[in-house]
Formats: sequence, structure tokens, C-alpha cells
Amino acid sequence: MYFSRPDFVAGARDMAPSLIGLLPFGLVCGVGAQSAGASPLEALGMSAVIFSGAAQILAAQLMAAGAPLAVTILTCCVLGLRFLMYSAAMAPHLKPLPSRWRNAIAFLLTDQSFAAAIRRFRESGDTRNGASYALGTGALLWGTWQVSCTVGYWVGNVIPAAWSLEFVVPLCFLALLVPALEDGPTRIAALAAGIAVVALDSLPMRLSLICAGLVGIVAGLIAESRRGAP
Amino acid sequence: MSSAGQWWVVIIVVGLLNYLSRLSFIALFAKVEMPPLVARALRFVPAAMLMAIVVPSVVFSTPGALAFDYTNPKLVAALVAAAIAWRTRNAVATMTLGMLALWIAQWLGK
Repeated sequence: MYFSRPDFVAGARDMAPSLIGLLPFGLVCGVGAQSAGASPLEALGMSAVIFSGAAQILAAQLMAAGAPLAVTILTCCVLGLRFLMYSAAMAPHLKPLPSRWRNAIAFLLTDQSFAAAIRRFRESGDTRNGASYALGTGALLWGTWQVSCTVGYWVGNVIPAAWSLEFVVPLCFLALLVPALEDGPTRIAALAAGIAVVALDSLPMRLSLICAGLVGIVAGLIAESRRGAP
Repeated sequence: MSSAGQWWVVIIVVGLLNYLSRLSFIALFAKVEMPPLVARALRFVPAAMLMAIVVPSVVFSTPGALAFDYTNPKLVAALVAAAIAWRTRNAVATMTLGMLALWIAQWLGK
């Protein structure tokens, strides 16, 4: 028996503040799907199966613009390449678990739940509790995501554009980023990634995101080796 | 092909490929040993990726137009929010005060 209820609840509770950022994000995704001409079921299929706001918005934009199907799919998948890195970072912590658990946690892996779960794994070092915690963060996000996307689809954008509420999305990521800047090399990794993502902005298909991530990681490794053993 | 069919192709193919990305190394490193360099590199993933996600939505006023100065309300608000996150480690305070900073900066810039 791997499930730990207190840790599942702790994961959901720690993820709750991020919902402030998630709700407007989901609304925007729902509005995007509706205005791109998706049926209610197709919109729900996007949020339930793809479960990635950035990919959903991009897919809706490209479908609305009449882009070739292959371009839409390829662009969304390039955007999803960051999950490879999250997967690798989670892997050592999930190794002792049954494959059923690994599959479930992988399906629920998002930017937010990754950032929260990886911190928990590093702090507690306990696989079983960490896995229940990760599942708690993912389950809360998935459930809320379906609701907010559906509300966006049916109700439309109820929030006036002048409020710029979509800005709460980067703020949510910022709140997750700052605790990750734990020492010199991680700060250098972040700085390099931030510069690279702007410098590489003209790359097609949002390749700048994954490339900047790789630049940041290499910069962090170099900084660490120059500083000596961690 | 009908447009309805196209949506489902996107949903299933992107959904499947995203899931395979999410599962990839979790499944692989459950079977094979992780190379030491990869293990060392992984601790930089959250800092590098989160920064790469945040920066474009802050420094571009419109897509492709870099606005890296104090007249960009989003940049001002993000710096305020970063300072709050650093001091308090509180996500709710970061988001609410960051939005407040954005509205003030937008109002001052009018």
C-alpha cells in the first residue's frame, strides 16, 4: 500500500495558492477553444487529455488560423519537450514505485505540480510520501483545470481585458521560481536561461523555451564545477 | 477531412506525445542507471525552465517587441513580485501584490 492520505492532502493544500493563477489561465484556454470553433466535447478533450494550458492555447490559435495539421501538432509537441526535463528530474524519486504509480504521476505532470513536487522530494527524501504528495498536487490541478476551461468555454471571458488578469499566470510561475534559486549555480542557471529565451525568441515553433532551458542547465553545471564540489 | 475530425487528431496525437514526454525518463531511469552528469544537471531544471517560462511574458510588450525598461508595467510589476516572493516565500502575496503593482504601474503610465 503506497498511498498516504495526509501527504496527498498536503500536496493539494500546498498547490491551492497556485489556483489563483490557474483559474484565469483556464478561462483563457476555454475562450480560445470556443472562439477557434471547437465543440464542447472537443474543448473538454483538449483540457482533459492534453492538460497543458500553453499547448491548448497554441493549438486553438493555430487551428483558428487554419494552419496545416502537421504544423499544429509539431508546434504543440515542441512546447511539450520541457516535460522531458521534468520527467528526468522526477525519475530518481519515482524509481522504487510500482509502474502504475509512475504512469499516473507522469500523466499529471505540469509546470506547477513539478515545481511543487520536486521541492517536496528534495526536502523529505521519502519516496512513498512524496509520490502521494505529487499525486495530490496533480489531482487538484487536473480537476480545477477541467472546471475553469469549461467555464471559459461556456461563459466566455467574464473578466474585463483592461484588468490584465492573464498576468497572474507569469506571477504564479514567479512564485514557484524564486524558491528554486537556492544557491549561486542555480541563480546562474536561471539568469542564463532568461537571457537565452529572449535572444532565441525568433526561433520557430517556440523552440526558444526548450533551448533556453538547456542553456540554463549547462550554465548551472559550468558554474558548479568552477565553484568546486557542491 | 472535416474540421471536427481534425480537432480529435490534434487532441489524441498531441495528448499522446505529451504523455510520452512526461513519462519518458521516469520510465527509462526506472530500468537503467542514470549517468552521473545527467543526475548533476537535473537540479538546475526548475530554475532554468521556470525562468524561461516567466521572462517572455514579462519583457515583451507585444510578441517580438522587447520592452526592457521602466515604462513596461509588466516588468515593473514582475520585479516587485519577485522581491515579495524573495522576502515572504508566499505565493498568494506574490500574485495579489504583483497584480496590484501592475495596475498601479499601468495607471501611472497613462
